[in-house]
Amino acid sequence: MALILDSVAKRFGDVQALDGISLQIEPGVVFGFLGANGAGKTTAMRIVLDILRPDSGTITWSGRSNTELPRETWGYLPEERGLYAKMNVLDQLVFFAKLHGVKPREARREAFEWLERFRIPEYANRRAESLSKGNQQKIQFIAAVLHDPQVLLMDEPFTGLDPVNVALLKEAFLEIKNRGKTLIFSTHQMETVEELCESLAILDRGRIAVQGTVRGVRASTGRQVVRLAIDGDPEIAWLETIDGLKVTRRGQDYTEAELERNRDPYLVLQAALSRNLRVRHFEIADPSLEEVFISHVGRIDDSERRLAPRAVHA
Amino acid sequence: MNGWRTLFPNALYIAVREYRSRVIGRTFAIGTVFLAVLIFSGTQLPILIDYLQGNSQTRMEVLVNAQSVPADWRETLDLVLNGAPSASNPRPSWVITPVTGTPDRAQQDLESGKFGALMTIDRDASGKLTFTIRADWSPDGRNAGYIKNAVQLLAIEDQGHLTLSDVTAPVALRLLPVNPQDGPTSLPKSTSQEVSSILVSTVLVVMIFMAIITYGTWVAMSVAEEKGSRVMELMLNATTPLQMLTGKVIGNGAAGLTQYGVVIAAAAIGTVAQGPIRRLVLPDSGGSSTFEGLTPAVLAAFLILFLLGFLLYSLLYAALGSLVSRQEDVQSATSPLMMIIMVGYFAAALGPDIVGEQGMAIMSQVPFFSPYVMLRRVAEGTVAPWEFGLAVVLLLVSIGIALFAAARIYSAGVLLYGQRASLREVMKAARVSR
Repeated sequence: MALILDSVAKRFGDVQALDGISLQIEPGVVFGFLGANGAGKTTAMRIVLDILRPDSGTITWSGRSNTELPRETWGYLPEERGLYAKMNVLDQLVFFAKLHGVKPREARREAFEWLERFRIPEYANRRAESLSKGNQQKIQFIAAVLHDPQVLLMDEPFTGLDPVNVALLKEAFLEIKNRGKTLIFSTHQMETVEELCESLAILDRGRIAVQGTVRGVRASTGRQVVRLAIDGDPEIAWLETIDGLKVTRRGQDYTEAELERNRDPYLVLQAALSRNLRVRHFEIADPSLEEVFISHVGRIDDSERRLAPRAVHA
Repeated sequence: MNGWRTLFPNALYIAVREYRSRVIGRTFAIGTVFLAVLIFSGTQLPILIDYLQGNSQTRMEVLVNAQSVPADWRETLDLVLNGAPSASNPRPSWVITPVTGTPDRAQQDLESGKFGALMTIDRDASGKLTFTIRADWSPDGRNAGYIKNAVQLLAIEDQGHLTLSDVTAPVALRLLPVNPQDGPTSLPKSTSQEVSSILVSTVLVVMIFMAIITYGTWVAMSVAEEKGSRVMELMLNATTPLQMLTGKVIGNGAAGLTQYGVVIAAAAIGTVAQGPIRRLVLPDSGGSSTFEGLTPAVLAAFLILFLLGFLLYSLLYAALGSLVSRQEDVQSATSPLMMIIMVGYFAAALGPDIVGEQGMAIMSQVPFFSPYVMLRRVAEGTVAPWEFGLAVVLLLVSIGIALFAAARIYSAGVLLYGQRASLREVMKAARVSR
């Protein structure tokens, strides 16, 4: 029943957009795609949707190749938002639903339901061009889900939304998940992934750097994070002297450090106690997704990478 | 390409959407009214020409060979041809003078253009008057009516008594070209006749030419618009490129046909109204009001060539439209197509005088040119049925090829953003796209 990508590769000219990625996404989960700009997220989605054909590799959903599946299997919210500017909102929602084989009457009913859910029923008869960007984005989301697809792929669905609308969209995610559908989305926002996703993959220059459950991925570096606060010593300068430890954050509340693989975090506590310091806070944690991401990919927003030729990578 | 099997109903939904959004726009209404007014005025052109010619003067010399022709023949002709002198038209249309020199001399003068027409009055074996007019134009419409009336009156006057059969029986009147060596059939047409037959073939060719450019550009524009507004990405998941392509061509074609329906209706009304309008403008004209050469066969050929030509070109327009990301770039992207259209159009407009009969025959079979060139040949009546059939078959075949090629280019092109894609990039992308 799962969505399986098997050694999918795609090259555009000099750029190897996807370098043989393999993924398994279980049905009914919320799956996050993380990656820098140009990592291949959009290409991967387009290939799953059979909008692009891969150079090699296969994609199957429930055991059927994506080239044979009916188009209504998928819902797609592209990264570039766009609607028919001169067409009114309801008309275009019904139009898109009809293209997916939904009966017009049913499409209208569903469309109104979704407009209510997003608290914009009064826009049904407005032209799309008269709506704000955020509202257009919501309309586009509705267009993507109106035919009740089994798998919903969304490219950066939260970009450009205000906090209220982000919350509304997260609710919509839950609604779709509760219907037993599979959600796949790409994002830059690590917190969103940690909040919503059961599993994820981090994509780096066409390759999967790491994939698995959120907990699994966070533990994947093997590094541990230690948070330490000591009364009367906010700097904790001596921390740097510990071998295999790197201070990653100094705050008034606590200082955070990362320990290399196989270092025992209790050594840090011992060191503090042996100095007769009063430890106010000591915590051992997995690195945050953001830290995992940075350790795998480098800087978060590395837009120059999209033009990196394969040779540099290999 | 999994779209071949499942073209409908999605292509139809797309066509309906395209049609609606096209027809609702104000540009469409304004364009339609403009074209309708233009074509209506065009149908009245022959009247204008006759009206202007009404103010010109024709000198006609009359050679009387028959004996005992009524003595007032000159007054009779003058009265019927010019009517009573009036203040509104002080200059008579006809100047009638008897031949002063020898008949040979008169013929020479006619050929050298000293006067416009030479009438010869003879008497046949049964004793009835016969009339022959040599002229460098063929009297039609109002002139023909006048001349017929004039000679009829003279014939009746000559008989000296009046019976019903005299009035209704045709008088022997022959209209011949200036040069006796030219047969009667080669009589040149009058200006208004010539104008109306040129009008028919020219207007039809121009209509196809304009339709292909205008409606083809609509298709390209609508593709570029979807790409530019990025609705394309939603569409790509909802449909296949072939469905989109088909829907767009049908939708825009139907909008074009709607516009042309109105235009053709205006032309029909104009043609029908020619009679009443002619009577209004030229009260004393007997005028014929139909267009020379506008036969049902020509109209049928026009419709067939219009549809096939539009299909062929609009597929290519859609393919080229898919290569640009902004509507502003459509013009430059489609310019190669424009060149091809121009070649066909100019060949059809200039005709055999420039292209040669052989050239016209060949070009009327080449799919890209045949919509115009074949239409002109059909309008001129120089086409064998098999020639027309072959051109249609060739068009259909090339539409099939264009559909396949356009779908490939389209499905690759719609995902290419940024600078205009080079042909090589597109070909490369087309090879790997679905």
